[in-house]
Amino acid sequence: MSEQEGTTAEEVLLYLIAQLVEHPDQVELEIEESDTKISLMAKVSSEDIGRVIGKRGRVANSIRTLVRAAAVKDGVEVEVDFSD
Amino acid sequence: MSSEITVEEQQKMVGDFLEGLAKSFGLEASAENVSADDDSFEVNLVGDKTALGALIGPRGSHLVALHEVTKTMLQRRLPGANRARIRVDVAGFRQRRREILQAYVQELAKSVLGDGVEKGLETMNAADRKVVHDTANEIEGISTISVGDEPRRRVVLIPSKA
Repeated sequence: MSEQEGTTAEEVLLYLIAQLVEHPDQVELEIEESDTKISLMAKVSSEDIGRVIGKRGRVANSIRTLVRAAAVKDGVEVEVDFSD
Repeated sequence: MSSEITVEEQQKMVGDFLEGLAKSFGLEASAENVSADDDSFEVNLVGDKTALGALIGPRGSHLVALHEVTKTMLQRRLPGANRARIRVDVAGFRQRRREILQAYVQELAKSVLGDGVEKGLETMNAADRKVVHDTANEIEGISTISVGDEPRRRVVLIPSKA
């Protein structure tokens, strides 16, 4: 397939969200970098926010776990948040 | 139609999902259908074992997350459908653990049969407890109960009364 554009963490986060939401076209990623870590803020449509968070945040936490695993490949620490 | 989706079709969706995720990790991996019956199936992602470790994690913790997102993906895609129970494995990690647990339960059952004294196992999650129940209940003279509340629930092997 095509070359990866973002970091592994970004690719994994975008892939997972796209697989879970109704409106993948409304997904946006805000990236904030500091010296020690990267903050990824995923914005999804208000209809989809519940889908990516899940009951008691279970889905969000699972996504975080996998994105952090991906970030190991990038050699950085990431923080992942979701909003609508 | 959507409520009539077959287990094979669901297994294909899960396989495609896992292969896509591996690709987003920059990994080459392929999904292997391990088993399927009327209401459940298992998919194992195979490829370079060292690289796939990222999807397994310490003591399988990433695999737990992988199972959760896979299950959620299927729920989102097939709302209201008759969804099968899924089992997700990576590089045969769960399968190996299952075999080790089965062997341990068989040994423990022998000692319960030997001295007639019930023996409890450590606390486990529901999936592991199911392996213990299934393995122990196949052995004649042994039955099982679960005691304690989640997350500290555990199985006890007891000699069945003749």
